[in-house]
Amino acid sequence: MTGFDDNQKIRRSGLKRRDLFAGSLAFGTLGARGMWNSVPAAAAALQRTAVGGTVPRLVPMRAHADQITDIKVCLRPFRPAGPRLDVERVGDKVVIHNYGHGGSGWSLSWGSADIAVGKAASLSPRRIAVVGCGVIGLTSALSAQRAGFDVTIYTRDMLPHTRSVRANGSWTPDSRIALTAPAGPQFAEVWEQMARYSWKTYRDYLGLPGNPIDFRDNYTLSDTPFEEGPEPEGRTGPGDYASTGMPRATSEFATYGDRIRDIIPAPELLASQDNPFPVAYAQRAPMMMFNFGAYGHLLLSEFYQAGGKVVIREFHTPADMKSIAEPVIINCPGYAARDLWGDRTLIPVRGQTTWLPPQPDVTYGVEYKGAAALSKSDGLMIQAVDLNNVGEMEGVGNSFEHADRAESEKAIAVFENLFARFPAGRG
Amino acid sequence: MRGRGHACRAGLGAGLLLALVHMGAPASAAPARTVSYYTTEQAQRGEGAYQQFCAVCHGASLAGAFDVPPLKGRFVTNWSGATLDRLFDYISKAMPLFSPGALTPAQNADLVAFILRENGVPAGKVDLPATDAALKTMMFPVISADRVK
Repeated sequence: MTGFDDNQKIRRSGLKRRDLFAGSLAFGTLGARGMWNSVPAAAAALQRTAVGGTVPRLVPMRAHADQITDIKVCLRPFRPAGPRLDVERVGDKVVIHNYGHGGSGWSLSWGSADIAVGKAASLSPRRIAVVGCGVIGLTSALSAQRAGFDVTIYTRDMLPHTRSVRANGSWTPDSRIALTAPAGPQFAEVWEQMARYSWKTYRDYLGLPGNPIDFRDNYTLSDTPFEEGPEPEGRTGPGDYASTGMPRATSEFATYGDRIRDIIPAPELLASQDNPFPVAYAQRAPMMMFNFGAYGHLLLSEFYQAGGKVVIREFHTPADMKSIAEPVIINCPGYAARDLWGDRTLIPVRGQTTWLPPQPDVTYGVEYKGAAALSKSDGLMIQAVDLNNVGEMEGVGNSFEHADRAESEKAIAVFENLFARFPAGRG
Repeated sequence: MRGRGHACRAGLGAGLLLALVHMGAPASAAPARTVSYYTTEQAQRGEGAYQQFCAVCHGASLAGAFDVPPLKGRFVTNWSGATLDRLFDYISKAMPLFSPGALTPAQNADLVAFILRENGVPAGKVDLPATDAALKTMMFPVISADRVK
């Protein structure tokens, strides 16, 4: 699965808790003077323009287990060395791989597609085939069209049936994208290139009818102060990837978010008077997110309008690629590459989202007690991101791709309880 | 796509007339001799100039950016079918964007050599010439699938 995010990761990668306090000597001064309730003073310290006493009016989320409309499960295609982007020959075909983006597929899709199409373009073909119609396949196909090629997508399933749309769908470009050691420093450069290119491309889809791409204020809540300090190790067993063939701790996972912090809105700590939640501490960060329905239809429409063709076909072995007419193939099978291409370095990372009816008047997301809720155009999405307090290790190695309703109900209960305590006067 | 055998080009010598092999010939018809497009040393000089004058826009890895053209990949498609004097001439007159025409002919030839190397064209024994007349006889080479970077 691609793009399955977890907000814990956002906070750890570039939006780390300690970043809130970067250059925040003024924070400490204010705190020492007991001036946290003075919003103008706090705003001045932050060089913000907040109006004193401004409390955002938030419509409460209606989070109840008897409102569930869908539970979606998918497997993030995680490769410890990072996504596969190399070039391979199969008979007289040239295959350019573009798969294995962990929980960052949606976020990195355009940048990764640009790299794959660039390699294809080195060969100056007239026609290009794309295998797979998840978000990586679809953006690869569109990127190839935009580079001037005739493109045919060969796929078993169209986008709504792929693992891509069983993701969370928000900007999480380094969520389970690689392990630091196996990926090496060189991948960090590639990652930055992909992330910056994608971010720019997504901006082109903002403000369109149906809001295919949108921003949400995302609130992270805590009963205890957001403190500076080492992140929890999130260990699930002894050893590490090098010694066991599987990651064993959150600390093994790569974080690259700091490389692009110049373009990603920073989180800000809310003064108590500006905190609309019945929880002691809250921070807020604008977060980009992808509305699957509007965005998916838009991408497919663009592909068809540019003369693209789709052929429904299932491939069983790499040798099946020889049946494709086009000489150059961009291979985007996602997790299916584990069997189709025999790529045993692909590790499944299970993720589950629970969907409640859309609440268009709710325009934010919340993370609290290891669960996340995000209001999207196709539903109120609730996810258990880290109920077990193991950080990035949550779901690693788990290929159980069926719904676990108990997990959904636990996550919903976090928000049901939160909003039962929501201050009516502020809501 | 063209066969990788076409990457080989016939050549007569250092900076002299190089046979123009048309792009569509079958692989089996490609001459066995290999054109020298540039030398390892020249490409290294070009890399130095690139990092000094070009990387600020096109990136250290020639990947470009959202609004800056890459000098790999699609770059090959854009220039294939043209003779190298066109590329040399363009770089000479239009680049660096902030100071067009500021580099010497030798530096520009070095830059073309570096770009060819980065796109998978193998080094030879003769420097890429720094004159339009000589470059006019050399086609932008076809890239072998085995050398796509």
